[in-house]
Amino acid sequence: MESVDDLIRKIQPYFSELSVGDLMSSPVVTVREDQRINEAKELLRTRRISGLPVIDDGGRLKGIISIEDIIHALENNMLNSNVSEIMTKNVVCLTKDEKIMDAFKKFEMYGYGRFPVVDENKNVIGIVTKYDLMIALLAKLSVLYVHDARREQFVGVEIYRSIPKNVKIVREEFEFQIDYKDISMAGTGASELKKFLISKNFPPKFVKRVAIATYEAETNVVIHSNSTGRIKAYIEPEFVEVRVNDNGKGIENIDLAMKEGFSTAPDYVREYGFGAGMGLANMKRCADRMVILSSKGNGVFVEMHFWRHEDEN
Amino acid sequence: MKIEELKDLGFEMVSDGDGEIDHGYACDLLSEVMGKAKPDTVWLTVQSHINIIAVAAITGIRAIILCNDHKFDEETIQRAKKEKIALFKTALNTFEACGKIYQKGIR
Ligand SMILES: Nc1ncnc2c1ncn2[C@@H]1O[C@H](COP(=O)(O)OP(=O)(O)OP(=O)(O)O)[C@@H](O)[C@H]1O
Ligand SMILES: [Mg+2]
Repeated sequence: MESVDDLIRKIQPYFSELSVGDLMSSPVVTVREDQRINEAKELLRTRRISGLPVIDDGGRLKGIISIEDIIHALENNMLNSNVSEIMTKNVVCLTKDEKIMDAFKKFEMYGYGRFPVVDENKNVIGIVTKYDLMIALLAKLSVLYVHDARREQFVGVEIYRSIPKNVKIVREEFEFQIDYKDISMAGTGASELKKFLISKNFPPKFVKRVAIATYEAETNVVIHSNSTGRIKAYIEPEFVEVRVNDNGKGIENIDLAMKEGFSTAPDYVREYGFGAGMGLANMKRCADRMVILSSKGNGVFVEMHFWRHEDEN
Repeated sequence: MKIEELKDLGFEMVSDGDGEIDHGYACDLLSEVMGKAKPDTVWLTVQSHINIIAVAAITGIRAIILCNDHKFDEETIQRAKKEKIALFKTALNTFEACGKIYQKGIR
């Protein structure tokens, strides 16, 4: 298999017009230089990220700390020391007007996984990871679609996913095999998931959101894929992740498929009321985050995240 | 509105269900219904295929009225009973049937 770096190099011409500001994540989760390493560790864990820019009181970039740094600190019993003691100090940064091509070069040259984006006063305004670059590039090629309501609404809000320390999260699972040969079974998996979530005491409004999105993904497998598929769900107290995938014919152009009203549904299923071309739009509306990965002949992979909203409790 | 009250409006009950009705919705495209129908809704459609039950169960639709004298598939009726979703039929077209329910104050 090709390495990420090879792939990135090959596809970089597609990006000539994009700049760092177009694809950086913002606002950024950061840690202050006088915070303890243990706190940085918790931030990485609860936010599920792999590195943190370190800032001073004025928000200016002082360094960067990664999971590897934390592991070293753990080994050396340094969890109570200040972040500044183990952070990397000479940080290579990007600016928001820098071209993506130049960002690619920095990734290649330095081998780091992430680069903070700073303004002229060294204030951290964003971050770009290798993962962000991959996502942007796949989206550009229309094999990937990302919708992320969280970016606007939740990230940067302090209480966002603040999981109490030392509470072990039990991840429960739900699994369902999709039978594509029997159109009358379409929606069975989503109905089962709905019952499962109700039995776990999730509130009805939240469950409806998850069930609608899952139903749409499931019926798409039945109607379009011509292959078997699977629904998988993981649940946490405040969060549900649903993955629906098939091994079927795939989607040629995801951007086009996302358009409301676009449908390639065959006539015989249209008679049953499918084919409004609203399924993917419904999924996008219901999920807080949705990622679709597909290309012709390679099936479809859908991952959706649902957080409990305040008005759903 | 109670589900039985739909009988008083002249709709023929095919199978009974649970709950009360607060809203109405009319459409034959499943994912439109999926996206827009509110909970505790009576849904007017010409679709009789079993998939309508999954749509109803997931959105919280309580009753389905099949218009234009269409007939429910037997497996649709069985599934509806299992999910406790009421089924009705009528010879009226969707527009006329909606009118009757609208007059009762259902939106
Ligand atoms: N699992 C899949 N495999 C292959 N193609 C898919 C798959 N899911 C979606 N598509 C493509 O994306 C298009 C849009 O999907 P969407 O769910 O929005 O509409 P639809 O399924 O055609 O109609 P509706 O969902 O309103 O009944 C489909 O018509 C199909 O071409
Ligand atoms: Mg669909």
